[in-house]
Amino acid sequence: MISMVRKVGVVSVTGLALAAVAVYPQLSARLTGEEIRLRVAPVDPIDPFRGAYVDLQYPDLRLGGPDPRGIDDGDSGDVYLTLRPKGDVWVADSWTRTRPEDGTYLACTDHTWRVRCGIESWFLPQDEAAEMEEAVGDGAIATVRVDDRGHAALVDVEG
Amino acid sequence: MTTSPTLDRPPLRPASPSQLSWLRTELAAWQHEGLIDPALAATLAARYHESRRFSVGRLLLTLGAVFVGVGLIWLVAANLDQLPPTLRFVAVAAIWVALLAAGEAFAARHQRQPGIPRPLVFSVRLLAALALGAVIFQAAQSFQVPAYEPRLVGLWAAGALVHAYVVRGAGPLLVALAAGSTWFVWQVLWDQPSGLGAVLALAVLACVGVAAASLHTTGAAGEQANDRFAAPWREVGAVFALAALFVAALPFVGLADFEWNAWLVGGLVVAGVITAVALGRAGTAIDRMEAVAGVAVAVVAIALAAWETSSDVDLVGPAEWAHAAVSVTAYVAAAIGVALLGTRHDSWRLTASATGALVVFTTFQSFAVFAPIIEGAWLFVVLGLIFLGTGFTFDRARRRLAAALEGEVR
Repeated sequence: MISMVRKVGVVSVTGLALAAVAVYPQLSARLTGEEIRLRVAPVDPIDPFRGAYVDLQYPDLRLGGPDPRGIDDGDSGDVYLTLRPKGDVWVADSWTRTRPEDGTYLACTDHTWRVRCGIESWFLPQDEAAEMEEAVGDGAIATVRVDDRGHAALVDVEG
Repeated sequence: MTTSPTLDRPPLRPASPSQLSWLRTELAAWQHEGLIDPALAATLAARYHESRRFSVGRLLLTLGAVFVGVGLIWLVAANLDQLPPTLRFVAVAAIWVALLAAGEAFAARHQRQPGIPRPLVFSVRLLAALALGAVIFQAAQSFQVPAYEPRLVGLWAAGALVHAYVVRGAGPLLVALAAGSTWFVWQVLWDQPSGLGAVLALAVLACVGVAAASLHTTGAAGEQANDRFAAPWREVGAVFALAALFVAALPFVGLADFEWNAWLVGGLVVAGVITAVALGRAGTAIDRMEAVAGVAVAVVAIALAAWETSSDVDLVGPAEWAHAAVSVTAYVAAAIGVALLGTRHDSWRLTASATGALVVFTTFQSFAVFAPIIEGAWLFVVLGLIFLGTGFTFDRARRRLAAALEGEVR
């Protein structure tokens, strides 16, 4: 009996620890982060394991230039976007490949065709995702919590 | 003469009708030779009960577990907004822990009494391993982790692998191997999609599968689970070896867009280490040959992918002919090797995989690759003649293998 409880305990703790690893950046940002607001432009696809979501693009986090990522140093990997407030929202100020020592910034990667900062998907029931896409087609504001390591968690999206 | 020992009624073990028939014949022969007495023969025969490995009950239990597990993940994907995200996570995690505990409770009862059938233990453990996926995906959904994130599948595989080895359960191992293989190929191609990258990822899985099977066969990871764990690893290795050659044989697969990444390098290092350990621990020359064959297939697949030929179907020169011929020869040889592996380990799944892979490969090559070189119908005729020739050779090889195995046992 003790052996069975130990086995179930080991597997349960391991599984829950892996689930925590899966959401660590978002969990850390929600628990310890500062709240900021960003402008977004949504589209509406489906993830096979987690269902419908609104795919969010952040016009104010793109730094311009010919590269679709907005970063054209010929390299890819970890990238940090430093932020500054502009009116009611925050916008990207600059980018760097080394982690900034202070200030508000987002820890992102540009392995793929675009910069990903862990805040690109807003999961909703399918009908609501479609409604949100229509409602916020002209632009919306995302509320994001950012911790001192640049981990970001999407908390809310308003039309 | 051997006297019959007093046995504390060990649990009954299932045996197929053919195994039981063989056992009864042998027991009768041993009695006849005076090696055992009738009481011992009866005691030994009474330790086994007839069971068909692929009974309808077993099939339904497995299908049921897979359907419920997939349904649970689908429920997560449905994003039921009647419940808040935290409560949904708690509910899914509670279901998972309950299944985990139920699986172990059934396993413990199965050890004590034969009333709980092993397939039930297998299916509940399988369901628990699938439910772990639902837990991880629900957590990720609740925290708005970005979509199409391969590491979630990787974490699911890691959890299922821990589950499999802690409880020595084949069901969680199947989930771990399916999720782990999906994750590795996806993760490698996620950073930089390329033909050679895909072949390398598949080749790594082939080497790891074959070498891990060899380690289990030689008893490196526990006595009880050795045989049950060796077969799934071996099947993964064989299937991915054939898949690596299949992709490498495509004329448009080459070096274009290829870049090394940390996952690929890590995978190659792991494959190299496991293969080296497997070679070091291999008990027989044939065990060593299996591990070496996995590496050989991987090397041929990588060489074929790196061999640049024209991807334009209208441009067929000597290089394209040579590439196609080497690809077909390598694939047929690998498929025959997998069929031999099936014969050696008495696995119909390996034999069926080899046959199915050969049919799919031949059909695909005929219509997609060889169409401008040789008419599809003629390719079938030529390959048919080759199979007749290799069938004769294969049968001789099988007899020699059986003789060698008999020698090994002695």
